Amino acid sequence: MTDVTKADPDADGLQGMEHTKQYDFRLPETYFYRSEKGLDRRVVEKISYFKQEPEWMLQFRLRALEIAEKKGPPKWGPDLSGLRFENIYFYIRPNERQGTVDSWDEIPEEVRETYRRLGVPEAEQRVLAGVGAQYESEMVYHKLKEEWEKKGVIFLDTDTGLKEHPEVFKEYFSTVVPPEDNYYAAVNSAVWSGGSFVYVPEGVEVGVPLQAYFLLNAQSIGQFERTLIIGAPGSKFHYIEGCTAPAYTTDAFHSGVIEIIAQDNSQVRYSTIQNWSHNVYNLVTQRALVHAGASMGWLDGNLGSKVTMKYPSCYLVGEHAHGEVLSIAFAGDGQHQDAGSKMIHAAPHTTSSVVSKSISKGSGRSSYRGLVQIHDGAVGARSNVECDALLLDDTAKTDTYPYIEINEKTAHVGHEATVSKLDDEQIFYLMSRGLAEDEAMALIVRGFLDPVAKELPLEYAVELNRLIELEMEGSVG
Amino acid sequence: MATLAQNPALSPEAVEQIVERYQEPAWLAEERRAAMRSYQAQPFPTSRDERWRYTQLRRFALDGLERVQQPADTSVSERIRMRITDSDAEGVLVHKGNEVVHREAAIHEQGVVFTDLRSALRDHEALVREHLYKVVNATQSKYAALNAALWENGTFVYVPRDVEVALPLGAFTTADRGGVGLGRTLVVVEPNAKLTYLDEFTSDPFDERLFYDAATEIVLKDGAKLRYVSLQNWSRNVAHINKLRAHVGRDARLESLTVSLGADAARAEVECRLDGPGAESEMLGLYFADKGQHFNQYTLQHHAADHAHSDLLFKGAARDASASVYSGIIVVDPGAQKTDAYQTNRNLLLDAESEAVSIPQLEIGANDVRCSHGSTTGPVPEDQRFYLMSRGLSPEVAEHVLVTGFLYEVTSRVTLPKVAEYVERVVQAKLGVPGVREKL
Repeated sequence: MTDVTKADPDADGLQGMEHTKQYDFRLPETYFYRSEKGLDRRVVEKISYFKQEPEWMLQFRLRALEIAEKKGPPKWGPDLSGLRFENIYFYIRPNERQGTVDSWDEIPEEVRETYRRLGVPEAEQRVLAGVGAQYESEMVYHKLKEEWEKKGVIFLDTDTGLKEHPEVFKEYFSTVVPPEDNYYAAVNSAVWSGGSFVYVPEGVEVGVPLQAYFLLNAQSIGQFERTLIIGAPGSKFHYIEGCTAPAYTTDAFHSGVIEIIAQDNSQVRYSTIQNWSHNVYNLVTQRALVHAGASMGWLDGNLGSKVTMKYPSCYLVGEHAHGEVLSIAFAGDGQHQDAGSKMIHAAPHTTSSVVSKSISKGSGRSSYRGLVQIHDGAVGARSNVECDALLLDDTAKTDTYPYIEINEKTAHVGHEATVSKLDDEQIFYLMSRGLAEDEAMALIVRGFLDPVAKELPLEYAVELNRLIELEMEGSVG
Repeated sequence: MATLAQNPALSPEAVEQIVERYQEPAWLAEERRAAMRSYQAQPFPTSRDERWRYTQLRRFALDGLERVQQPADTSVSERIRMRITDSDAEGVLVHKGNEVVHREAAIHEQGVVFTDLRSALRDHEALVREHLYKVVNATQSKYAALNAALWENGTFVYVPRDVEVALPLGAFTTADRGGVGLGRTLVVVEPNAKLTYLDEFTSDPFDERLFYDAATEIVLKDGAKLRYVSLQNWSRNVAHINKLRAHVGRDARLESLTVSLGADAARAEVECRLDGPGAESEMLGLYFADKGQHFNQYTLQHHAADHAHSDLLFKGAARDASASVYSGIIVVDPGAQKTDAYQTNRNLLLDAESEAVSIPQLEIGANDVRCSHGSTTGPVPEDQRFYLMSRGLSPEVAEHVLVTGFLYEVTSRVTLPKVAEYVERVVQAKLGVPGVREKL
């Protein structure tokens, strides 16, 4: 989190202080049920019991646990040695009423206070389609605008989705990210709780973004949200998830799985900006199955957390499917952002594009890790990847690890990466125009991120800019 | 997943045999024994090792092979004679098995040493001892350890301070029997000296399988200049691994070219470490895989000092169910400010059964740098082919022209015209351009 050490803030500093107060908060903990620390069969059975799940889900969880135990953590990538399962609570249900509530007034004051600081009500006032917010491991508030409900759009927390739409749920759940996929997906499959369940029926366009907030608020709890999004043929919508977590004293663990199915000719966008506090291990699997003529866009912003490993992927399985990843990462002191993308071209005339922008500062390290795979028979597939890295000072680090595997003669694949530092001349020019050095730096950084930021809805772009300003504080001197 | 088996012929006893046979000095015997321990301690690479992930490891298997010692006969083949004549080399060594079967040394410059490593140990022991194993050593890989423990012969080149060797020196390695062949090259260029060196591997086809494990150590002192060409055109019964590593001093310049055309499977590891400000390394690579060949290129541009410059261009093509892998990394150490480092890999896929993998990587620990990398893979551009065909060229000829043109970006930067010409000729012969043979 931001380090504000100024004892006697001047007028400039005050603005920053306000931001800090707004995001750096923690409310008292009150719990209904908290699992034992660590991960074993009993914990998984208890989760399923408290959720009153169907038998198949319990069996699924137990199988996933076995797979996780067999697989073990990956041996590549960032240092995860600080992450110890035996110190983590894998399930906590907050002391609130279970299920959804219809109006904002029914939300407990404590939680509303949290959201107020996040700006959720204001966001709702700006005619967002619905607000689903996850407080720790359970959805507590849910509202979907009536006009969308009438068209058959489902936007629920995942637990409720399982109860109310068991057939749709069972048909698609775990088809995109099976527990066998990777260790953290297996852990998530065993202990998942909460997340969003979205179904947009055939031909329906949702004009304003669907939005959900997640936050962590107890020490050492794991948050394992499981999001399942289905865009029926010809549908079009934008799902947004934001994460802001308060600061903690011990390391927390977040490992979500997001599965998206973009059916024929649908257009799905998923945007997320995570700002977990700097002790969170954020290990997320995000994957979309993109069918013929469909288009899938991931916008992935990684500002917070201690270590992030996140590679949004598109499996382009139908002809003319299109996948896109826009990725921004900010690695401040002590942070390692290991982000990237995967584009699997398994059908003819599929196209993909990846733009990654990363900024490293202090002891921060940002890595781009990506895979472009063109399968034999993916005639005319095209993929282009661009990675730009900005280093703010001489201790920051950046890496690029793109993997390009091509089995198809007619494919065109390109990859480019550049690394640069803040340009002294640009800073000098801006300062000659009257900007302070930190303002000049922030302006250049915002300009660097602009190609990604401009793809965000306005309120998110504003929030992104504020968060970048917070991260940039103390960059000078 | 392929696993590779240990080979009993590559054992500590083999080390003792070599030490005994050549009455080697104690320091070298100790180095060999340590390398053998390291070899035995290291597991064979698997496809789970990042550096070997796309390597078809079975094709580099050692099991069942004996060490190559005596060649079947010590004559110099027509192929080698042609290459010698064609290369303009002033000094020539021909290695076959553990023997030097031909030697021409008309070097006029004072103090230059160009001889086989075995003779160098006898005549220039101090020089060899000072530099051997300092650049390529047993800890770097299983195959480097094998070479360090069991090499029997190789080439030693030494150019004293301020001496410029006008014409190229060349070592030609050939073979006529199967087994495990091990050759080692040590090139030392003293401050402000200058050398052009050609390291070529070629053979006529023979029945048995040969695994050739080469190690090349290059030391460039401050201000030294070296043009180094590594040209691999083995017959198809050979698997080839070459670790070529250079330490480049202040204001020194290395221009390297690594060409992979022959063998069944070949892995070229080309590494440079830029140790002083002003050091420069130009790394060119060219590969053309056909008829099921498997080529693997691994490159490292390690900027250990500030104000150094490296520029890499590797281009290759694959056809007839072949596979090429390019994996390269630029590492910029913390403090290596004002680094300029570039890396480009371009691949041409000529048929649907072939495969190209490209992994250009960066690890940057300093901020005031200019670093970039780029990679492209694609077919022969359709519009260009169409244009050539509209001018009356057949589809085959159009492809020949376009592949040659694609690789020309590399061959045109080679400052040795005879080498560039030969490479183009081999490529055209592989493409099946009528009337072109390798000119044997």
